[in-house]
Formats: sequence, C-alpha cells, structure tokens
Amino acid sequence: MRTQAVAGIVFANSHDECLEPLTRVRSMASLPFGGRFRLIDFALSSFVNANITNVGILVKSNYRSLMDHIENGVSWDLDRKIGGIRLMPPYNEKSMRRYDGYIEALYGAVEFIKRCNSDNVVLYDGCVVGNIDLGSALDFHNEKDADITVLYKKIDNYKNDIGAMTFSYDLSGRIKDAAFPKTFSGTAATSFGVIIFKRSVLLPLLTKAYQEGKKHIERDIIAENLNCLKVYAVEHKGFAAVMDSRDAYYKANMALLNDRIRNDIFVPSRPVFTKIRDDMPTRFGINSKVSNSLFADGCVVEGTVKNSILFRGVKVEKGAVVENSILMQGVTVGKNAKISYVVSDKNVEFEDNKNVIGTEDKVIFTEKNHS
Amino acid sequence: MSKKCVAMLLAGGQGSRLGVLTSKIAKPAVPYGGKYRIIDFPLSNCSNSGIDTVGILTQYKPLELNDYVGSGKPWDLDRMSGGVHILPPYQGQKGGDWYKGTANAIYQNIEFIERYSPEYVLVLSGDHIYKMDYTEMINLHEETKAACTIGVMEVPLDEASRFGIMNTNSDGTVYEFEEKPKHPKSQLASMGIYVFTWEKLKKYLTLDNDNPDSDNDFGKNVIPLMLNNNEKLMTFRFKGYWKDVGTVDSLWDANLDLLNPKINFDLSDKNWRIYSRSNAAPPQYIGDSAKVENSLITDGCVVNGKLDFSILFENVTVEPGAIVEYSLVMPGAIIKSGAHVKYSIIAENAVIEEGATVGKDPTEVPLGEFGITVVGGNVTIGKGAVIGAAKTISEDVKGGEKI
Repeated sequence: MRTQAVAGIVFANSHDECLEPLTRVRSMASLPFGGRFRLIDFALSSFVNANITNVGILVKSNYRSLMDHIENGVSWDLDRKIGGIRLMPPYNEKSMRRYDGYIEALYGAVEFIKRCNSDNVVLYDGCVVGNIDLGSALDFHNEKDADITVLYKKIDNYKNDIGAMTFSYDLSGRIKDAAFPKTFSGTAATSFGVIIFKRSVLLPLLTKAYQEGKKHIERDIIAENLNCLKVYAVEHKGFAAVMDSRDAYYKANMALLNDRIRNDIFVPSRPVFTKIRDDMPTRFGINSKVSNSLFADGCVVEGTVKNSILFRGVKVEKGAVVENSILMQGVTVGKNAKISYVVSDKNVEFEDNKNVIGTEDKVIFTEKNHS
Repeated sequence: MSKKCVAMLLAGGQGSRLGVLTSKIAKPAVPYGGKYRIIDFPLSNCSNSGIDTVGILTQYKPLELNDYVGSGKPWDLDRMSGGVHILPPYQGQKGGDWYKGTANAIYQNIEFIERYSPEYVLVLSGDHIYKMDYTEMINLHEETKAACTIGVMEVPLDEASRFGIMNTNSDGTVYEFEEKPKHPKSQLASMGIYVFTWEKLKKYLTLDNDNPDSDNDFGKNVIPLMLNNNEKLMTFRFKGYWKDVGTVDSLWDANLDLLNPKINFDLSDKNWRIYSRSNAAPPQYIGDSAKVENSLITDGCVVNGKLDFSILFENVTVEPGAIVEYSLVMPGAIIKSGAHVKYSIIAENAVIEEGATVGKDPTEVPLGEFGITVVGGNVTIGKGAVIGAAKTISEDVKGGEKI
C-alpha cells in the first residue's frame, strides 16, 4: 500500500525579527537567498529529496510572498492528490490572535499531525540554509528506534541572544544533556532546528506542553525529557547556516562563492528546486568585467561585478561597479554608480553616479522598491 | 468542448540537415538560445495567443521531445479541456501507416481535430524561431473569409529562390504559388504557417489523400490544389524576426543574433515571454580567472575561462585557460583547461579535453572552406586534438589527432 511514512512541518516565520528590513515585507521562509532561491526552497527540497511529500507550512504573518512563491507546490512536485503541501495560518478556537512561541505554532498544526498517519514527523526551522540529507537522518532515526532525533552541526564560537541548543551525547549518539547558551567559545554540537519526532511521541508531549503554556520545543519538550525518551543526535556534516542575524545572512550568501560550499549545497543527486520564472539567460555586454560572482537568469551586465550575488533581472549599466554585494531581483545599478558591501532588496534603483559604500563590518541593507 | 481554433504543430521531421545535432533527437527538441528548445517558440506563441489546444505530430525520435513537452505545464498548456497532445502515427482497424507528408500527418488526425469541432485550424512547424501573435492572423482570415491564410514575409530577392514564393494580388490574395522558383516574381516567402477554415481543410486533405500520386505535403500539394479549385487564399504579412533553423549555419546564426544589438529579437519581453522547461540548477558562477564579454550564460554554468560572442546552455563548464569564441556550447558540455573553441557548436554533454582546438576563424582558412564545426552529443575530443573548420564530429577523437 502507498504510505506516507513521514510528514514535514516548516516554521515559516522563525526569527523574522532578526533580518529587518528584509523581513518587513515577507516571512523568513520567503527570504531570497543565493541568487535564485528563497529559504523555503531548502526545506522543501530536503523533504522531497527524502520522499517526504506531505508537508505543512506554519505561517504567522507576512506570508503573501510565500504563497506567491509556493503556489500549489508544483515546483517541488508537491501538487499531489495524496499529501502535497498546505499553508497553515494561525488558527485558534478562542481567538484569531497570532501565536506566541513554537509550541503554540505547532499546536496549530495538531489536526494535521493527528491526521497525517505517518510514523514520523520532521520539524524544520524555516531559517535554515543547507542541503540536508533527511533520508540518511531518517534511516539513523529508524535504526535506533529513536523517539526524537536532533540534527546538529559542530559550531565554533557562538554569540546570539536567541540562544541555541547545544548538547553532549554518548557513543551511540544518544543525547545526555542539553544547554541553551547565548554565547560560547570553542566547539559545540548545536541544533539548527531540524528535528525528527516519532508521531506517537510528539502528539501527547505537544498537547501537554501547549496546555501548560510552554513555548519552546527544544527546551520544554526535548531537554525536559532526555531521561525518559530515546533522544538521539545525528551530525549534518555539510554546510548549514541559521539566518539569525543580518551578518549570518550576508556570510551564508557569500559562502556560496566558495567552490567547496557551493558543491556541497548544490548536489546533483539532491537538487534544490525553486519556482521557475522564464527569464532569458543573463547577457554580458561589451566591456563587462565579472569575477567570483553568481548570477541568476535575466540579468544584463555591462559594468563590473566582483565578489557578488545577483538575483534575476538585475541590471548593471556601463561603468557601474558592484562589489561584495547581494542584489535582489530587479535591482538596477545606473551608469558609473559604485556600490560595495550592500544588500539590496528587490527593485531598488541606484541612480547614475551614485556611491553606496559599506564595509565588511557594516554592510548596508536597503529596503524594497527604494531609489 | 468546442474550440475556435486548434493548432497542429508538425514536429515529426528528422531535420537531417542538422546532422549529428539531430541524430538522437527530433529537430524541435534542438536547444536554442541558452535555455530554450526550438519547440518553445511555437508553443509559447500559441499560449500567448490564447490557443490552448495544440496537437504535436511526432514521428522521428520522439522520446526526448515527449519528455520535454510532458503535460504542457511550462507553457500553461496543461488544461482540463484541450491542452497539448502528442500525436504519433498509430494503428487502426485497417492497419496504419507512418506520416507520409505534412498533410498526411494532419489527415491521419482528423479525428483528434473533430473532437473540438473548431472553426479554424492553425498549422505550424517545429523548426522556426519567431514571436508571433497568431490572433492577428486568425482575425485577418476571419475578416477576409479566406479558405486558407498563409503567413508570409519579405525576403531579399536574391534569396527568394530558396523559399516557397507567393505571388499576390493587391488585396493580398494569392494567384500563384511557386516552390523555390528560379526566377521569383515576388519577395513574399511562405513561413510555413497556415490558418485553414476547418471544413475546407478537411475537404482538401481528403481529396489529397485520394490522389495516389500526391506527396501529401502542404506546400507541394494541398496549397496548389486549393488554388486550382479557386479557393480564396490570403496572405498575412509578418514583419518581425523569423528564422528557419534547418541547417547548422542557420542555427548558429539564429543563436548569435541574440547577441547582436542591431537585431530586434528580445526574449526578455515580459508581454511575450518564451517559456521553457527548466531543471533545478544553481545560479551560474563566474570565477576569478574568467573573462566574459558579449555572451549569454544560464543557470548551472561554471565559467573560469575566456568567453566572447558565445552562448552557454545549462550546466556548461569552461575551465581556467579555456577560450570559447563565436560558439554555442549546449547543456552539460565541458571545455577543459587550455582548450580553444571557435565558430563551433558543441552539442550536449560533449567534452573538449585539455589543449584541444575546435573550429577555425574565417581568416584562418582559404576562402570557401570556412564553415561552422559541430561536435556531436557525448563526443570527447582528446587532449591536444585539432579539429578544422566546417567539420562534423560524431565519434570520439583521440588525443593529438588532427581532423
């Protein structure tokens, strides 16, 4: 019989507040990334590459751009009669207020979890970039007959007020104790918010935590139950980054200019799918000078582009110089303008001869549709 | 459900003049312009013209074309009613036959067309690059109450003898049709685009089929037959860019036209998009040692070499120190370090090994010996091999060999 052994749930609005002004007009999950993607592409591609084809997206606010992007899920082959993709906006019996915290958000999907009839549920934080091999992680989870399996990365030197779950584990991979430091030096196994739950374990824990007014899945559900549940950790050895600050966003984008990291994220056997936009190929004009940069389709480059990432339809006019920058869809850089260390949101126009120069420590972020 | 107009796209031809480029695929599936295939143009034109029912007549090597068209989704032609239909030859109770000619292909699918009981049938071919609003042509056909309206465009007089030429009255009606005339009387060439009133077309397809001496071809048989029976044949003048890409040279030309600022053929026009089926590829990466000018590059390419007046299709690799000039490099091909490719078409997944030279500059060869060199799909050109001008390479070439 055809079964859906695993269901996937994405938190689309996680850490929205960390990426102002880019998330002023969109959810974290629809944040543009890497020239032609949005963050949700990484989650959805990881799911479908592991044959997870029953997916719920938890959204709280600012999700119009996400809906535009996802449509009916066809770009990920998730337009299915059985399973497929669904957006789950806030739903509460008593009021329509927005949820507060991950547990209340996830509880909004409790009917989905009850009905999905899968053995396991994968929770996926929408602010994660990486090509996560969920298939192997699920194999590990099943081999260990684990109740919960947390994917982790070894992180050096962490500092962020959000805090991250770090933990130690025994030789079998079973998590012994967990902590939630806001800062640490040295190396620690750190969760990046991709967690596999046995459905039969998740449902009662989630219901109880929700009723008790708890907020944090890792702290209040996982760390609380390390003794009575089989909680395992599995390392993701490739690239993974959490978009929990503007700096993290800039660095993760720029990391794609590194061959090794690019080849790690764009694995031919596990493609990263995204919505198709039917632009023509990018045209490089006479005297264009480009190096160490990524270009999506539909750009017209007549100036100089160096160490940068250009999304679809960006125009760099004659004499313009773009360096160390991330330019989103439809940005125009006018003649002889010079921009460096800029993250520009969509459709911004940099006028002729304009200079916008940031530094490595102070990258300039511009808002959508500005000029 | 009835439709006003059904399009029938002739996509069964081998395109033998494209040589190794069509040894494994039908001509309409040949890549064009970095991310398109030839068939994207008629399909996108149909979609943009509001024609939502398209029969695609296939015969020669249809596998890749079938895969490519699929459900028709990329062209918004996956419809509950209508949509794209692949129509290969089939067997009936009394046996069956291959499509003998363009007209016979339509004749064998009368049943398909009848399902939609259309007023008009648009007949298109799968080997032309152009953007055209078919509704204008259908409107003209409707207004003039013609039996058939033929898309025509003006060609230079000295080239007119390569085309089917329409000799017309001042009102645009055709009084004579000449196939490749030695002494053309007009410069109006048929573009192989026809609008027929379905009742008329059905009648003449049946008459043509009953004639055992006919080649069952539109240009050769059906149009002259209609003319002889005094049917009203109208011409529709098309003034935009149109290119028949039936030969290696014309395919190369039509691609490089995209890099010519003097040629008005814009594929980025948001009001007339050309749709294509794309794969999930990362954005293109242009490396530190790259030098890229006057070129079109698309997703999945990794360029570390030098590129001038060239078009790279999906997932092409150009290694450091490689040079590609005036060439088309089709999906998945690899140009290795120190290789030099000029005036060539490198087909899908071919590999040009280190230090190999493919093709020649027109100034490097005696007058009359110049031509575009074609390296076939999956062919490997060995290290340091030298391939001259106007060559067609369909099998692997050993390192150091000279051809």
